[in-house]
Amino acid sequence: MNPAAGIGLRAPHLAEIVRDRPAAGFLEIHAENHLGASPARQALEGLRRDYALSVHAVGLSLGSVEGLDEAHLDRVATLIDRLQPALVSDHLAWSVAGGRYFNDLLPLPYTQEALEVVVRNVDRLQERLGRQVLVENPSCYLAFAHSTLSEAEFLAELAHRSGCGLLLDVNNIVVTAHNLRLDPMDWLEKLPASAVGEYHLAGHAVNDADGDTILIDDHGSRVSEGVWKLFGEVVGRFGPKPALVEWDTDLPDVNVLLAEADRARAFLDAEGGADARAA
Amino acid sequence: MLGLRDLQAAFAAHLVGEDRADLASAVVGDTIPAASRLRVHRHHVGQSLASALASTFPTVQALVGQAFFQGMARAFIVRELPGQPVLAEYGEGFPDHVAAYGPAASLPYLADVARLDWALNLAFQAPSSGRLTREDLSAIEPERLLGLKLSLAVGSTLIESPHPIDRIWRAARPDGPDEPISLEEGPAALLVLRGEDDAGFLTLGPAEAAFILSLGAGGSLEEASRSAFAREPGFDLSTTFARLVASKAFAALQHKSMSC
Repeated sequence: MNPAAGIGLRAPHLAEIVRDRPAAGFLEIHAENHLGASPARQALEGLRRDYALSVHAVGLSLGSVEGLDEAHLDRVATLIDRLQPALVSDHLAWSVAGGRYFNDLLPLPYTQEALEVVVRNVDRLQERLGRQVLVENPSCYLAFAHSTLSEAEFLAELAHRSGCGLLLDVNNIVVTAHNLRLDPMDWLEKLPASAVGEYHLAGHAVNDADGDTILIDDHGSRVSEGVWKLFGEVVGRFGPKPALVEWDTDLPDVNVLLAEADRARAFLDAEGGADARAA
Repeated sequence: MLGLRDLQAAFAAHLVGEDRADLASAVVGDTIPAASRLRVHRHHVGQSLASALASTFPTVQALVGQAFFQGMARAFIVRELPGQPVLAEYGEGFPDHVAAYGPAASLPYLADVARLDWALNLAFQAPSSGRLTREDLSAIEPERLLGLKLSLAVGSTLIESPHPIDRIWRAARPDGPDEPISLEEGPAALLVLRGEDDAGFLTLGPAEAAFILSLGAGGSLEEASRSAFAREPGFDLSTTFARLVASKAFAALQHKSMSC
């Protein structure tokens, strides 16, 4: 896929995008919102003709020790078969335990045991879909004392062993680094450039926690200046790749999202992404 | 040190309100203590699932307000988490929870409104294809028509309530009519259906409801008509049937029913 700049497609914007077909590098949807035969999915099948698509799953639970839910995997595979997206991704996190789904991207300890679990689950996912998937670095609010690897080391090893690609969420690096007192450069230095296949950008909230500040990845505002700055360094290091602006709460007008995507595209163009103007 | 299986089980217990010392001691704390860090996730799970329920049950939330709805939703969430990750399919047990929720006891119609919201949600997620059309019927010899056994289309639900929930539903819409509704206005029977671009419902008379119920129980058109006539002698089969077919209420004929 060309290193274009896209936007997350959310239900309240769907009618406008179907009607106006604004220029956007690509559209990314959440798999779990389109598994029913709703009118929204019919509309999406129509948009396929005009836009490259990315299917971003949030519920495969790649970090679950109990393995993937095969019934859910089948449904996601059917959607991917219908939409033929350019990119498919999910997160380095877990959200299912004991057959219950928590609707949160829950943190993993970065241990050899967890690495083996995630490699096994990503292997199964890629085998079922018959294609490579991208795995995204999560936003973290806590670290486990028994972790033996940094997140970047864990992701690098995951990509090496499973052959998956990496979706680098620049906002999540900023959020995690702040919350866990880490240096964003650790991600830039330790991630394998050849595995990076997509970038995410989003806004975060700054909340109070026991008199300290904690950053919350709420996708509810513009991309922060700190994230743009790090994005410049990331693109400089890993090169132009498809970049997505995500916005999920307090949704603005489509034009605000498109303007954010334009700003992202300027970074890609500056690093020689000659094809970044794909409509 | 917790192995991954035990860690995920302890974390799951934490998320529904249990304070787990083994989990807290596995988390790095500093100026922000481990317990506060863990609470970020507990808070997110409760808050995000409550807003998922609010999207699925918008009329219930409109009737009781956001704060009351949140409390009612959280009491449900700790008891019944989603069994899979599609949030539009979460909340089947919520209407029964509403019915049994003490603080909502003064709103006797609220659980039926929740049933209506749920049925609309199911209809919205159902495929619009595979519906019986007038053309399909014209291919059937008239003398066989009354012997047909028709199924409701996927995503269709008949809801009967002792309360006027159709009027309550309309009044609770953002652009709904601002007029008083008396609970004495009596029962409602609604057939919830997937339309072309949305979900909606037909308001049925008592005989029409009896007609649908009989078909749903496996009765033929003739048997269903008899149930309807027994309820209301003035029942007009051709008008009701034409209205239901035009609304795409029935599933397309299976080969089996064609030969009956």
